[in-house]
Amino acid sequence: MDKLELRCKECPRRAKAEYNDDTVRASLARLEDTIIFALFERVKFPLNPPTYDLLGDLVRETEALQFEAHRYDNPEENPFFPENLPPFSAPEYPFTEFLQGAGASININKEIWEVYFRELLPKFVKCGDDGNYAQTAFADLTLLQAISKRIHYGKFFAEVRFKEARIICEPYIRAKDKEALMKFLTTESVENTVVMRRVEKKVMVFGRELSQEHDFKGDVSILYEKWLLPLTKKVQVEYLLKRLD
Amino acid sequence: MAKAEENVYTLASVREDLIRQEDTIIYGLIERAKFPSNSHTYDEKYAQIPGFSGSLVEFVVKNTEDVQAKAGRYTNPEENPFFPENLPPTSVPSYPFSQFLHPGAASININKSVWKMYLRDLLPLLATSGDDGNYAQTAAADLSLLQAISRRIHYGKFVAEVKFRDAPQDYEPLIRAKDREGLMKLLTFASVEETVRKRVEKKATVFGQEVGLDSDNDGKGKSKFDPTVASRLYKNWVIPLTKEVQVEYLLRRVD
Repeated sequence: MDKLELRCKECPRRAKAEYNDDTVRASLARLEDTIIFALFERVKFPLNPPTYDLLGDLVRETEALQFEAHRYDNPEENPFFPENLPPFSAPEYPFTEFLQGAGASININKEIWEVYFRELLPKFVKCGDDGNYAQTAFADLTLLQAISKRIHYGKFFAEVRFKEARIICEPYIRAKDKEALMKFLTTESVENTVVMRRVEKKVMVFGRELSQEHDFKGDVSILYEKWLLPLTKKVQVEYLLKRLD
Repeated sequence: MAKAEENVYTLASVREDLIRQEDTIIYGLIERAKFPSNSHTYDEKYAQIPGFSGSLVEFVVKNTEDVQAKAGRYTNPEENPFFPENLPPTSVPSYPFSQFLHPGAASININKSVWKMYLRDLLPLLATSGDDGNYAQTAAADLSLLQAISRRIHYGKFVAEVKFRDAPQDYEPLIRAKDREGLMKLLTFASVEETVRKRVEKKATVFGQEVGLDSDNDGKGKSKFDPTVASRLYKNWVIPLTKEVQVEYLLRRVD
């Protein structure tokens, strides 16, 4: 998706990942497919309640090893249990430092976790127990990570907007005017309609080829309408409020 | 899915499961194709993780399998680890998975071959050359795809068991004679394999397309990956290796 220069480890390297309107929109569109596939994979399993006794530990352990593998060096990635991880050290790979201000480290994963288990999962998943708790947990983690990435991409979108129209939004930020910032981000409403229609279309197109019975159409765009889009917007506003800190 | 009750594997259920597994493999291909080759992921000289010698993908796969083992993944006979040596025991109450497979043959594990095939043959076809620094996510995508491919290939044990129970008289003489070629012939249905390949390619085309709101572009537009990679994967490796598992399984079936 981004232009990158390929150099060997010994040479000084610079990532040239670009974040602008087009690349951010393209990334978000690509993430829709990831989320839809992850959802299809999760609903392959019934609810499998015993999974949820294990899940917290399982996610913590997996994030710890992914941390060691440098997953969280990339500012696009946000752990669910950052308090469980060692302090972040200098990244090995020079990911583009695009985000600025105190908002760069916003992490609303605790809220996403709550919403996922309390509201989202019951909507999509059938009751039942087939014993596949580890596989279910990993299907949950994959879906959670995709949703989290989408929502936290709001930071990148907000930074693009800030750079485009700093003169307009800076006064709102200094006044800590949330409402004005929401309005400033209003072009998002048009964008959001496009997103929802596209998600519905994807689910329909992919759904025709699916080997399992599950009527998804309405449900998946609700996922976006009720949670993904509002939470992305929340991240955008919070990011901008801290942009000058 | 592994079942709790005995004898819930039938020719029909096994076929249905294999078809469902195609979707999982194709999603896995598409998600891996999101990243370029990221060769550092596979380079053991690059990883330099304290206390671990091996590449980053080995680190991620081995350690994730350990986490999954403790959560009981490998108590399901349909699942086979890539690094079975020193896998921690499960620490969750055991679930009564159906013990459908013949005990002498149930533990066949050809994942070392699957691993080699994946790195040497599949990845060069699947990933465009380049580096974006996302080695951990690349390894995670590798793990998902490897697990999906492995599960499909080792499902051959269930296919073989169903076929054997259906017509033991067809298989027993060949098994006793250790006639690998004869068994392979009995298990090969070229027209069925062609149907599978065609269906896989169609699904890969549909799931792999970039869907936009401009309906004029549907099906003619860009793709997230090359769908022929999916049918080649099946033709060159998944189908032959599944048959190899079936043959090896059957050879131990009357022990």
